[in-house]
Amino acid sequence: MSSYAFIGKSMPRVDSRAKVTGEAQFTADIKLPKMLTGKILRSPHPHARIVDIDVSAALRIPGVKAVITGRDALQRKWGVFGYTQDQQFLPSDKVRFIGEEIAAVAAIDEDVAQQALECIRVEYEILEAVFTTMESLAPGAPLLHDDFPNNINIHVPINVGDVEKGFAKSYYVREDTFTAAEDSYFQGEPYAVVARFDMDNNLEIWMPNAGPHMKAKPLSNALGIPLNKIRVRKITIGGAFGGRSEISPADFVCALLARKAGRPVKIVYTREENSIATRQGHALITTIKTGVREDGRVIARDVTCYMDGGAYSSTGPIAVSVPFLCMEQAYKMDHVRYNGYRIYTNKPPRGMIRIHGRAFACGVDTQLDMIGEHLGIDPVTMRLVNAREPGDFTNTKSHVASCAMKETITKAAERSGWDDKWGKLPPLRGIGIGCNSVQTGFPMGIRGGSQAIIKLNEDGGATVISGVVDNGQGNDNMLVQIAAEELGVRTEDVQLVTADTEVTPSDPGAYSQVSTFIGGHAVKNAAENVRMQLFETASRALNVSVDDLVARDRMVYVRDSPDKGIPLKKVVRMILAQGKAVCGQGEYWPKVDPKREWVKNPFGQMCGAFSFGTTIAEVEVDPETGKVTVLEVTAAQDVGFALNPLVIEGQFQGSIAMGGQGGILTEGHVWEGGSVLNPTQLEYKVPLACDMPKINTIIIESNDPEGPYGTKESGMSIAMSAAQAYAAAVSNAIGVYMTDFPLTPDKILEALRNKAEAEPVNQEQDEAKGLEIVVPAV
Amino acid sequence: MNKQPLEITVNGESYSLAVEPNRTLLELLRDDLDLTGAKEGCGEGVCGGCTVLMDDKPVRSCLTLALEASGRHITTVEGLAQNGELDPLQQSFIDHGAVQCGFCTSGMLMAAKGLTLSKPDADNKEIRDAMSGHICRCTGYTKILEAVEAVVDRSKEKR
Repeated sequence: MSSYAFIGKSMPRVDSRAKVTGEAQFTADIKLPKMLTGKILRSPHPHARIVDIDVSAALRIPGVKAVITGRDALQRKWGVFGYTQDQQFLPSDKVRFIGEEIAAVAAIDEDVAQQALECIRVEYEILEAVFTTMESLAPGAPLLHDDFPNNINIHVPINVGDVEKGFAKSYYVREDTFTAAEDSYFQGEPYAVVARFDMDNNLEIWMPNAGPHMKAKPLSNALGIPLNKIRVRKITIGGAFGGRSEISPADFVCALLARKAGRPVKIVYTREENSIATRQGHALITTIKTGVREDGRVIARDVTCYMDGGAYSSTGPIAVSVPFLCMEQAYKMDHVRYNGYRIYTNKPPRGMIRIHGRAFACGVDTQLDMIGEHLGIDPVTMRLVNAREPGDFTNTKSHVASCAMKETITKAAERSGWDDKWGKLPPLRGIGIGCNSVQTGFPMGIRGGSQAIIKLNEDGGATVISGVVDNGQGNDNMLVQIAAEELGVRTEDVQLVTADTEVTPSDPGAYSQVSTFIGGHAVKNAAENVRMQLFETASRALNVSVDDLVARDRMVYVRDSPDKGIPLKKVVRMILAQGKAVCGQGEYWPKVDPKREWVKNPFGQMCGAFSFGTTIAEVEVDPETGKVTVLEVTAAQDVGFALNPLVIEGQFQGSIAMGGQGGILTEGHVWEGGSVLNPTQLEYKVPLACDMPKINTIIIESNDPEGPYGTKESGMSIAMSAAQAYAAAVSNAIGVYMTDFPLTPDKILEALRNKAEAEPVNQEQDEAKGLEIVVPAV
Repeated sequence: MNKQPLEITVNGESYSLAVEPNRTLLELLRDDLDLTGAKEGCGEGVCGGCTVLMDDKPVRSCLTLALEASGRHITTVEGLAQNGELDPLQQSFIDHGAVQCGFCTSGMLMAAKGLTLSKPDADNKEIRDAMSGHICRCTGYTKILEAVEAVVDRSKEKR
């Protein structure tokens, strides 16, 4: 029985009331006086030099208040890192993908704005374009960026031990290649921005974001305005999933339009724009060579990965590293070599996504199953033999303080009935397991830590000021839970001022699952500071030591003697009467190695904690249609400590939908050259309620020594492991190891056909098998 | 474009308006009446975020012209709560953790409301079918279905 009032308890989220009544305001819901509609003209060409842009006809249209092109911008190149500065918002030299921003208008309404866009004349000189990593790398291929030879945007080389020696010592070695198409976020809310300047040139801007401070600094640089004049405001956000981590060209364009027009401007992306002009997931080609002992333990692994990065760097160095990191955290290896390449192509830029690098992750696990089959070892044992353990160091020298990976495997196996099912299911039924590990944070330089401020009002209510942002995952509730717990007030006593760069101190944002671990930690520390101020005054009034006091249910009282106490608001008033504020700050800085760098020095402590997840999926394949029906999914994750089990279950369920159900069965972009053929929800199939299986969730608590209350990441380890489990289950059902994702019906049917051709079986048996399948369906 | 007269009742309030023939019901609600609870997620009737009730039946307001709603009663998510009391569906969505980012929530609620009005004794399969025209990217649908099932089950118990 925990001694907490709110921590560790399932509680409905504080933000849900506004969301069920329609009161919650998203960016597109904002309406400001004299606000204009902004629209962006996009390149129809994948690669072309901009010769001339003539906007004069657009400017003559009544109702058009501003038109901008690259000439209106400072023409600085932006990048997340100093060595990845390759993107000029509103480019003036050339366009590099279909959909790239070329000009924009602000007008009195959408119809006028649209009409104005159609009047802008752009003269292009068409350049040769490249659409796949292999085309880009081919000798003589056109360069996207002159300063990046061979179209190699990023190369992350990691070499630990001696893989060749490891392979020589191995009992069994095999090499396989896995591929996947681009995937997309399809956040509920299409991207939108509202911007306005005041007469002192202060910019006020609203947009979905995964970190307001991460938006403000690049905007400050791109616009040439001091940081304290950029006010990224809090707004309800309709999902991020990794896709709203950076400045968007739309932020910059909207701000420029607002400045030029002298009026507020709103840009709302269409669903198509959200797909082609924000971010996408990378397409991957991953070759994995693994050598094992006779008992299945991996001795050496050599991975080469080509990631299709699209036209610009985005979070390139991180994107190339994370698939490797997830693997080295989840599984032990004595020797490992990694060569990760992010390659430019004339397609939309790619960023981090919830199931980042699915071909990599699914490849590692599929290959473990292949090896297990060769050795006669079942998949669960293969995972247990290789699973990360607490106290270990990863190959790149991160200490893993807390880890219940093995427990996630055994508990998930038990709950799913693995032993009764593996190898015993009827034809075309399959079961598969996937394991993964996700970082709780990573070195982020000056914005790697979070600071929070809490003030108490004279009635005992609290205001929490924190840079933490809520993209929909429940971060606001997390902050309220922590503050209420530490201050001894009720959750309804806590007000939030968050995610507003004018007011809230620095915070890394909702990146890499770090909000609770870092931002929540800072709020916890701030609340402890304020509580100590209360205790110092209360201890004098009650004549006891501060160590004997507790704060709970709006009271400060002597431990184990609730009758001997003072109402919290009275303590506040006692302090205020002394002329002091009841206000405190707290900060948290993660214990990461600041010298660790993605490309130059990928060694040292990566992050404060690592989480571990196992998913097991059971599926059935229809051999006539290739359709996969998912019967049951079991997900177990070591989350450190469950702050709010209700919210964590929701994260698990959503992760299974996006990572497994969508990520492996249906989701992938289809292309014709540089054109996305499925940019809308009509053609890009995300899961619906009718697709979802029965889900079992198992929360495992390893109580991380560093995380607040022992917490670490929750959810993403499930999204990743769900993808791996779905892939493994389909392979198991059809008896073919699938290596190209997503596993759409056409690929499954082709695999079944190839298998039938390769293994001619007894005619009678075949017919009997066919009947067996057809009869129940009739 | 010439504006046409439109008599419409929204959340119990009557309006006499003049609207352009190409104005959608969603535009009318969001831009003219400031009822921004209905969301535009796709603009082509796929995501379900713009769902409102027209004479108690769920419709996609992005595919419905405002003039089609002439003489009809429209209910939006803002009209679900009565006298400050949340509709049981709204409360159930909160209690079951069915709300994450919240962008799909109003459409989900209106679909569920339409179902409970037309078929108060719906079984779980019917609930799932009714909710399957709505895209949610956060929840995996489990808690949304549980929230609707709880309300339907409670009303079954009462009868």
